[in-house]
Amino acid sequence: MSLSVPDLNLRIIAPVLIVAISALVVLLGELVTSSAQKRGLGYASLVGLLAAGGAAMGLWDAHAVAFREMVRADNFGVFLTLTILAGAVLCILLSFDFTRAHRIETGEYYALILFSVTGMLLMVTAADLIIIFLALELLSLPLYILAAFKREDERSLEAGLKYFLLGAFSSAFFLYGIALVYGATGTTNLARIAASAPSEMLLIGAGLLLVGFAFKVALVPFHWWTPDVYEGAPTTITAFMSVAVKAAAFGAFLRAFLVALPALAMDWRVVLAIIAVLTMTLGNVAALLQANIKRMLAYSSIAHAGYILIALVAMGGAGVSAALFYLLAYTLTNLGAFGAVIALGEGERERLNVSDYGGLARMQPLLAAMLTVFMLSLAGFPPFAGFVGKFLIFGAAVQNGWAWLAVVGVLNSLVSVYFYLRPVVAMYMSEPVEGWGAPRVAPLVALALVLALIGVIALGVFPAPAIALAAGGLGR
Amino acid sequence: MSTDLVLTYVGFFMMGAIALIGAVLAVSQRNILRAALGLIVSFIGVAGIYFVLEAEFVGVVQILIYVGAITILILFAIMLTRGLMQGTTSGHNSQWLAAALLAMLLFAALALVALGTNWNVAATRVSSDLIPKIGAELMTTYVLPFEAVSLLLLAALVGAIVIARE
Repeated sequence: MSLSVPDLNLRIIAPVLIVAISALVVLLGELVTSSAQKRGLGYASLVGLLAAGGAAMGLWDAHAVAFREMVRADNFGVFLTLTILAGAVLCILLSFDFTRAHRIETGEYYALILFSVTGMLLMVTAADLIIIFLALELLSLPLYILAAFKREDERSLEAGLKYFLLGAFSSAFFLYGIALVYGATGTTNLARIAASAPSEMLLIGAGLLLVGFAFKVALVPFHWWTPDVYEGAPTTITAFMSVAVKAAAFGAFLRAFLVALPALAMDWRVVLAIIAVLTMTLGNVAALLQANIKRMLAYSSIAHAGYILIALVAMGGAGVSAALFYLLAYTLTNLGAFGAVIALGEGERERLNVSDYGGLARMQPLLAAMLTVFMLSLAGFPPFAGFVGKFLIFGAAVQNGWAWLAVVGVLNSLVSVYFYLRPVVAMYMSEPVEGWGAPRVAPLVALALVLALIGVIALGVFPAPAIALAAGGLGR
Repeated sequence: MSTDLVLTYVGFFMMGAIALIGAVLAVSQRNILRAALGLIVSFIGVAGIYFVLEAEFVGVVQILIYVGAITILILFAIMLTRGLMQGTTSGHNSQWLAAALLAMLLFAALALVALGTNWNVAATRVSSDLIPKIGAELMTTYVLPFEAVSLLLLAALVGAIVIARE
């Protein structure tokens, strides 16, 4: 029997490969390093991520498929690849001192992050439902472990177990959806699904795929795990999950629905619009009630998933580019916000309650100003990245005839201002709380915060280049 | 209806019944060990359906991996975990009614659509040299998923060790 070898174009998956190899190197490095040298493994991870970023930039305008159309290099995928890598780099910068303070500094910590990033990059490059599913599992499994990484902490274990059980459940739905789509069309390739006749079975399959995606990006009513998992997981991991998983899952979500299922758009647009309204509203209203800042940011991340969903409902080039820009803006802003929370921690103690932020403006004026900027950007104030992102998404919705959805989105943004400003008000207006010294910020954490801050301001003041890069890159 | 087809139907419904009975046992038994044994029955029933549908390879794999490996692993985990052997657990909680209703609704929707769908029936019978073909496909068309699975298993392995070590 002769085998016809497929087009093994390794260049297309070079970023994925580089991150996977870095994960293996870090894993082996764990064996030969003493506990004082674990920091080096973090630096090695950074090198791997940056190299992957370089390889991804080389794929700009490549427009190619490889491995019998299993993967596709288009500017859409490259943009999201770079977004995810930026998120991962910032997360690792935040992790160095955090993991030491919380006594979870091991090689596996970095290796699992890199495995997860491998899955994420594969997911945004995938052009076939089988690859999307495997990438989804590859990105999720390490996160289940990382959520439970602080094993002496019951909340962390609870977070890992909850995430794992519900995640496995949602993966089963996703897989069932793939099976039904295959039954209806005879293929798992996104482009070939689009070419086959739509049927009721395809619609049911699409519905089950939607459940899987909705769970990963935390859309109502599949969001129940989010607050508990985000609260219990180590804060660096929460920060990473809240941005990178969203970028990867939304990437595959957009690609699957816009490339493979445009024929069913009449049906799924209405459903997604309803889900978007529920998600934004529940996320923002529930965030109003939270005293714990990690839970507040968890509900806020649910609300942001709702905003991004508007871009998918809007469809078209404007919708896609708005979603991409928003994901980048949200990645930098949210990592900045979590970074500030991490920077304000003291050893193993973290300032988790909004009241813990009292009087910080006097003790740490720079850090307080940074957190203020990130909160304002999350709330959608100009001249920060979050404003431009919301402007693009609501603009795309209006342009494509979903003005009412944009109105709901704007109203929700107004509600969100209240809870985003609560820590800010505490920092500037309240008296310092007893029992907290002045926080000392580690240099690498400061570097991460400054990078995020530069990104948030640059995207807010000069959005044009990023908007141009985000435009029209979805290959079919 | 030819005898061949009648036999296929009889076999299908028998195997389906076995799978269903096993599944009901798995969720209804209060003793977790018995629930796991119910799972074995269910897996064997599913394997039987694969055999009836002439997918022998998938059937054998189902028995080897699910019955042979996964359930045995579950049984070991139960036996090695203190307290799980003696006590009983309840599969019921306050949400069982809502969950059952939703599950029925999903089943009804799937069944209705499945019955109404005009399935593409393969024109040719499954050839006898299936296994070499599956192997060849894994090394050509599906080489990337194949490699992704290996990475996934490695990540799972590392994760299991991280969680379990003292």
